[in-house]
Amino acid sequence: MADLTGWLDDYFFGTLVVLQVFFVALGLSVVFGLIGAAARLSQSRIANGIAKVYIVVFRGTPELLILLIFYYGIAVTLTNVARYFEPTAGFVNFPPFWAGATAIGLIVGAYMTETFRGAFQGVDPGQVEAAQALGMSRFQVFVYVRMPQMWRLALPNFGNHSLSVMKDTALISIIGVQEIMFVAEMATTVTRKPFTMYITVALIYLLITTFITISIAYLEKYANRHLRGSR
Amino acid sequence: MSEPVIMMKNVSKRFGSFTALSNINLTVNRGERLVVCGPSGSGKSTMIRCINRLEEHDAGTIIVNGHELTGNDRRIDAVRREVGMVFQSFNLFPHLTVLKNLMLAPRLVRGTDKASAEAAAMALLERVRIPEQAHKYPAQLSGGQQQRVAIARALCMNPKVMLFDEPTSALDPEMISEVLDVMVDLAREGMTMICVTHEMGFARSVADKIMFMDSGEIVESAPPDEFFGAPKSERTKMFLKQILAH
Amino acid sequence: MSFNFDLVWSSLPLIIQGLGMTLKLLFLSSLIGLFLALFILLLRISGRWYLMWPAMAYIYVFRGTPLLVQIFVIYHGLPQFDFIRESIFWPVLREPFGCAVLALSLNAGAYVSEIMRGGIIGVDKGVKEAAMALGLPRWQQFIYVTSPIAIRLALPAYSNEVVSMLKATALASTITMMEMTGVARTLVARTFAPYEIFISAALIYLALTYALQQVFAWIESHASRYVKKER
Repeated sequence: MADLTGWLDDYFFGTLVVLQVFFVALGLSVVFGLIGAAARLSQSRIANGIAKVYIVVFRGTPELLILLIFYYGIAVTLTNVARYFEPTAGFVNFPPFWAGATAIGLIVGAYMTETFRGAFQGVDPGQVEAAQALGMSRFQVFVYVRMPQMWRLALPNFGNHSLSVMKDTALISIIGVQEIMFVAEMATTVTRKPFTMYITVALIYLLITTFITISIAYLEKYANRHLRGSR
Repeated sequence: MSEPVIMMKNVSKRFGSFTALSNINLTVNRGERLVVCGPSGSGKSTMIRCINRLEEHDAGTIIVNGHELTGNDRRIDAVRREVGMVFQSFNLFPHLTVLKNLMLAPRLVRGTDKASAEAAAMALLERVRIPEQAHKYPAQLSGGQQQRVAIARALCMNPKVMLFDEPTSALDPEMISEVLDVMVDLAREGMTMICVTHEMGFARSVADKIMFMDSGEIVESAPPDEFFGAPKSERTKMFLKQILAH
Repeated sequence: MSFNFDLVWSSLPLIIQGLGMTLKLLFLSSLIGLFLALFILLLRISGRWYLMWPAMAYIYVFRGTPLLVQIFVIYHGLPQFDFIRESIFWPVLREPFGCAVLALSLNAGAYVSEIMRGGIIGVDKGVKEAAMALGLPRWQQFIYVTSPIAIRLALPAYSNEVVSMLKATALASTITMMEMTGVARTLVARTFAPYEIFISAALIYLALTYALQQVFAWIESHASRYVKKER
């Protein structure tokens, strides 16, 4: 434990970076998931096809590979663009934080797409008909009848997907984001105590995933409150 | 003739604060046919589920075929082999064909060889009048057919007693009679039976004794003529009025 | 900034060399993971607290931390201890291959045992009671009635898990393993053509994912034959 004392503040700031990546990537995954679900549910065959390809590609390729394609791919593209205008331009670096968060957002977004689509279709059609019979507009039916029931159906899967986002954040150390895996590597070179340093990373992740799990359980309880027996 | 197969003495059972059975006393002799009726939640199902220990009773004594029911696992398996049970929701094994549903327990529990288990199973399917369905899966049969398979499955073990837990309640009306016919046949052959059912026609024609339960108690127990002709309790009269009304 | 197809063609044979290692990792770790999962499952459903608690703790830790962190703890971390370097396991733990297989198997064990438990919970209670009522002893109920049904129920989730494991083998490249992603990364470092090489690798992963899904679809349809109404 004594080996850790000098590094606690590094771990703390590393954890903050992890949380930043988590929230940005989670937000992006919801956006991509909603766009994807809307495309899958649309009448347009083109939109539907694109969404299907998106899901297959991002769910079937290793997360690490997608991350590498994003990071190096964007860097090479930007460098080429820069050299087109200014042939002597140096290598352009893209911020790894944003490459990582976008890649994770797209990966988990592919899973969110199916979750949101399933939840949309999981709402009893009788509910929608009843709302329409009351004279609600399509927009009102969606916001007041479908959405409240949808998020209850989507919540359990959403919880699992947010855990995936959290665990995928560990990958971004590979493209050079200075989060807790990076801290552990640095600390190891100095202290020669790799187990202590990496198990600390594991414990930090365990703490955060536990917190996410509890929060989701609480949300689920809240979402299902009207289903409990009235007594 | 009056050899008791099932004896319950002061049997009680609670689920939390809810009393499912209170002070049940009951004797069923060999060859006797008992029909149990009563409103839902009255403890009928709990009572027969206690007989093969699908539920454990809290107090009192239950003796089945001379064995007292205790927590001993090996003993209870021996008791269950002699007691056949038919469920409201059939509970056929969905992954096995009809024939294999029938052969499974004899082969595993009794160690019967394949040929004789199959012969016995086919004979029973003849008896419940669906030998042609032997190689289908339960999901491919109608509800009435599934329930007849379930009866045959229980009979495969040559039970000394048969328990029926609302065997026709989950069936469409047009399928009820095909199941009841099989049960009447069984009664005629002298099988000892306890049937939880609201089929009063069936009760009148085959039962030796009809028992009315309410709130976990046996309210009244009498032969059919007396039960239908001159019920003693007000609760029985009310129940009969409701159930015979339609 | 053009897409160099010649480079794709020349690098494909090299990447395919890594395919053998990817498949070896996948096959070994899913096999060991399956046995481990079964063992954990039996502890988990034993009904005895002193067996259940260790199983639950195991599942909690391995599902709550990123696989990459687990790999690093095992590969970089364990050699910190002399007793490990002197133990009979050292020949395995010294090699990145042994560490990768160990980490992937331990991880799979946790996920797969929960998938199996899900299948068992899904088995209709009535069917179990029917087996009980016939007087089958507990272990026969489990082997002849509960398991076949539970396996059918668990197959779709298991198929997803195997695809996840295929993707997870890419993480072995972070500890110097030359499986497909590892080969692709060295090629990119040499040629600096990330799009061509990483996308070629991604296409092979997609083909593998597709093949795995087809195999499991076939197994599923075979295992569910009795659920279909009429042939």
